[in-house]
Amino acid sequence: MRRARLRRTRRVGAVTLASALALTVLAACGTSSSGGDDGDAGGSGNGAGGDPAAPLDPKAKVTLSIDCMPPAAKAAELRQWNEDVREFNRTYPNVTIQGRSTPGQCLEPPRFTAMLKAKSQPDVFYTYFTDLPQVLDNDGAQDISAYVNERTVPRLKDIDPDVLASLKSEGKLYGLPTSNYRMGLLVNRKLFEDAGLDPDAPPATWEEVRTAAKKIAGLGDGIAGFGEYSAANTGGWHFTAQLYSLGGDIVDASGTKAAFDDETGREVVENLRAMRWDDDSMGKTQLLKWGDLQKQIATDKLGMFLAAPDDITYMVQQLGAKYENFGMGPIPSGRATLAGGNNYMIKKGISSDKVKAAIAWLNFKFTTPGKGHYDWQRSKADGLPVGLPQPNLWLNGTKAEDDAARKEHATMPVENFQAYMDKPVPGKAEPPKAQEIYKVLDNVMSGVLTNEDADVGKLLSTAASQVNQVLANR
Amino acid sequence: MSAPALAKEPAVGAARPPHAVEPGPRPGGFRRELRRNLTAHGFLIGAVLCFSFFSWYPMVREFLLAFQKTEDGRTTWVGLDNLVKIVNDPAFGQAWLNTLWFTLLALVLGFAVPFVLALVINEFRHGQGYLRLLVYLPVMLPPVASVLLFRYLYDPGYGLFNEVLGVFGVPAQPWLQDPDTAMLSVVVAATWMNMGGATLIYLAALQDIPGELYEAAELDGAGLLRKVWHVTIPQTRLVLSLMLLMQVIATMQVFTEPFLLTGGAGPEGSTTTVVYLIYQYAFNFNDYGAAAALGLLLLVLLAGFSAAYTRLSRDQDADA
Amino acid sequence: MAPRAPKADMSTRTLISPARLARPRGRLVYWTCFALVVVLFTLAFLGPLYWMASSGLKTTQEAVQTPPTWVPGSLHPENYGRAWEVMDLAKLLFNTAYYAFGALAFQLVLDVAAAYSLSRLRPVLGKAILGMMLATLMIPATVLVVPQYLTVLDVPIVERNLLNSPWAIWLPSVTNAFSIFLLKRFFDSIPKELLDAAAMDGAGPVRTLWSIVLPVSRPILGVVSIFAVVGVWKDFLWPMLTLPDPGAQTLNVGIYSLATSVPENVLIAALTIASLPTLLLFLLFQRTIMGGLTAGGLKG
Repeated sequence: MRRARLRRTRRVGAVTLASALALTVLAACGTSSSGGDDGDAGGSGNGAGGDPAAPLDPKAKVTLSIDCMPPAAKAAELRQWNEDVREFNRTYPNVTIQGRSTPGQCLEPPRFTAMLKAKSQPDVFYTYFTDLPQVLDNDGAQDISAYVNERTVPRLKDIDPDVLASLKSEGKLYGLPTSNYRMGLLVNRKLFEDAGLDPDAPPATWEEVRTAAKKIAGLGDGIAGFGEYSAANTGGWHFTAQLYSLGGDIVDASGTKAAFDDETGREVVENLRAMRWDDDSMGKTQLLKWGDLQKQIATDKLGMFLAAPDDITYMVQQLGAKYENFGMGPIPSGRATLAGGNNYMIKKGISSDKVKAAIAWLNFKFTTPGKGHYDWQRSKADGLPVGLPQPNLWLNGTKAEDDAARKEHATMPVENFQAYMDKPVPGKAEPPKAQEIYKVLDNVMSGVLTNEDADVGKLLSTAASQVNQVLANR
Repeated sequence: MSAPALAKEPAVGAARPPHAVEPGPRPGGFRRELRRNLTAHGFLIGAVLCFSFFSWYPMVREFLLAFQKTEDGRTTWVGLDNLVKIVNDPAFGQAWLNTLWFTLLALVLGFAVPFVLALVINEFRHGQGYLRLLVYLPVMLPPVASVLLFRYLYDPGYGLFNEVLGVFGVPAQPWLQDPDTAMLSVVVAATWMNMGGATLIYLAALQDIPGELYEAAELDGAGLLRKVWHVTIPQTRLVLSLMLLMQVIATMQVFTEPFLLTGGAGPEGSTTTVVYLIYQYAFNFNDYGAAAALGLLLLVLLAGFSAAYTRLSRDQDADA
Repeated sequence: MAPRAPKADMSTRTLISPARLARPRGRLVYWTCFALVVVLFTLAFLGPLYWMASSGLKTTQEAVQTPPTWVPGSLHPENYGRAWEVMDLAKLLFNTAYYAFGALAFQLVLDVAAAYSLSRLRPVLGKAILGMMLATLMIPATVLVVPQYLTVLDVPIVERNLLNSPWAIWLPSVTNAFSIFLLKRFFDSIPKELLDAAAMDGAGPVRTLWSIVLPVSRPILGVVSIFAVVGVWKDFLWPMLTLPDPGAQTLNVGIYSLATSVPENVLIAALTIASLPTLLLFLLFQRTIMGGLTAGGLKG
């Protein structure tokens, strides 16, 4: 869209020399990115471009556009980005990284949809794990399986295979991860202490959650013990997480039938019903969506809810909360938990040197311990949060190495997350057609949380038949 | 060439001989006609282009989309598949029922309340300006401000409304939080936000009623309610029917208020409206075909109301 | 079609007969009802606004306290400053004004020209074009949102993507058949003699429009302008879809998308600030705005 604006300016003829230069660069990258399949359009034309498995030849001259660069408002993160580009250019002096920034969220679904439709994504573009089907529907991403190996991404074997699996379709790899999450139980330490509970031992089962919630709600003053979403598809999202925690599943193995209308599903809903109506420990305000519970817990009106660790960063930076006030435990009952995250994909049809350059940059910035995103010492010096247990892509040796660095440079009490760290719950990806299914499941959540006489069995069976239709459609 | 344009011709060039309007224009007249038409179309062209791109073309496209499907960048004809799909969507029936329920509630509140307010305001010999100002005030607020304010007022915990009810000893209400009251709460908020315009229009209509009619009714011994029934309502019938149709057309298309108050779907889907469903199809599920098919159904239904409205407003013009 | 002046003078005969009101008992009842209605109206319409302005002054804790406090325990005007900064209200207000007045300019130029042409110049096919324009009034606006959105993504022939550009607001705003209809009807009513005289003086269509038609059309131009500005100012769905870039958002959309990322008191303060411009405008021009509403027929 920025390009469109510039183009219009040019038409009007009111361009200064500087923006004319910028235009030329943009126009050049526009032309080359639309040219042909991978390989043959190689900008530098050197021989190494032929072997996808080989790392980028430092002599190759490449210009790479990439979105989700930190905006000016996030001064420290932008400075880090620029420092990283400079350091990267010491190894690859001929690669020009052209970052594009967005003031708010990097990815908003309507904008993302439009971008894919217009094929206006930059060479390297940011997505959520769950966006892969949509990207492939629009033929928007390059299969990078051949390009990613131990030579181009040295820590590949230590990246959590669950994370990589979210970026694969039919065995082909379409992206490199930048962050991930596994949902856990976020607790308000102050309210736990006020209610006589131990914030270092968050409830480990749903039974314990219910008991703790009741105690916290007993503090009065409009304080809720446990909170849940029930609107804007986030209700269905959390229903999924709760179901996973009890070992249930949303869709059966064949991918064509709903699998939540069973004992496990009823246990989830029944437990919510009991907390909301028998104990009155979930507050009176429902129909909440992402952001609402964060506000409640930040103002000490909520004891606990299911969340990803980076919610804490959000609450501290946006809502004026304090790191010390929060802690995390694993998701209660812990058979499995919802896992997700973000990544970069590479636009289909760009030259093989560009693909290589993109992988080199992403590897440097997001998958190298001690560098880029993982330079914790620098983040501490810049006043950014260090010490959250996640995002954490690593396993094995790399995990040990990175965890030690996080601990050393932590800017918050890492022991508050000990319970979460101690029990790594297996991650489970979101169901197919996640958003459509979540929309249906919102009704289960809002039903049980807003209607005292809701028929649990009927809520689930209605939702199941609706999900079956969603899965059958298309 | 259209007839009125011809009839107009002599007036423009008064100096022309009378036979100029006869068929078979001389070369000079033809060139003149051409130039006049070019000028006239020159004035029109901007608006016509805008209409072509952003109104007429989308109208055609709406019809096409409803019978197409786009996958992997290829568009194919699918006949009635989209229609079958939306009709089988479990949310379909509920969305229509909700929309009709909303419309009904909006008629009771949004249609009747402004009329009563107008009747009351009209009776006062003082402070009319102030009362009119108050009623119209909410119309000038950005809708997001009003809606988020209402969400804050409705909150069962820290909201003002339950606090006020408490003062009168009425138990706290769940408002937006209950499937039974959610839609009503949405309508109350929407009525507060939008009724200013209707009230002022009714007021203007009331002030056009000849006073003698009331006097005549009083001579017949009519009481207050009978005067309203036999004089006021018949006298404002046209305006009332126009407003009724407009209210139906507008409320059947409601989106912003439920979207912002309850996140769209609401408790157990109780505030899912047809337009919200269209929005979900198009912008959450990327299924433009289904969205267009559902839109087409809404269009067909509302076209009837629109046609009635157009007829009535022509009548009103004739009266004026 | 001239705006009707509000009539509140004693001569207007209404439901209740003046004779009854003149009696002492009648007068007592009148004044009691009057006082009651004034108080009720004030509470119903100004009450929420008081709540908004005052809650914006509370601390975050007090704003979400159960039960709520009627008067802020302590005043925190800095919430307003924070709302202004965090939500970048200056930019949102500027954007909205830019879109609204841009749309106004486009409508005034293109729609007035079109209505003038249809009313006075009467070109070939003029009637058909008018008919097609009026036909768009029959199509519910929300139904057209999807195909219009797809058109904006890739405008045919010129092949431009208007997403995040003000044109996505301005150009579709011109397709306001109701304004064209109002303007045309007004132009139709201008006495022919006036225009003929201008033509005798050798004035071309542009000069006739500029120096004869527009000056006498001021009332209807006012009405159309108000509709144009208020329409853009209050729109939500369309700008949410076509201006997703946070830097290009309107007031409504910007506040909506940031609503979850600020504390409740700051959000309420932001709502107060966002309401001020149109409220002030309304208090200044209330006569024109309310008069224009009834004059403009039934589209409120």
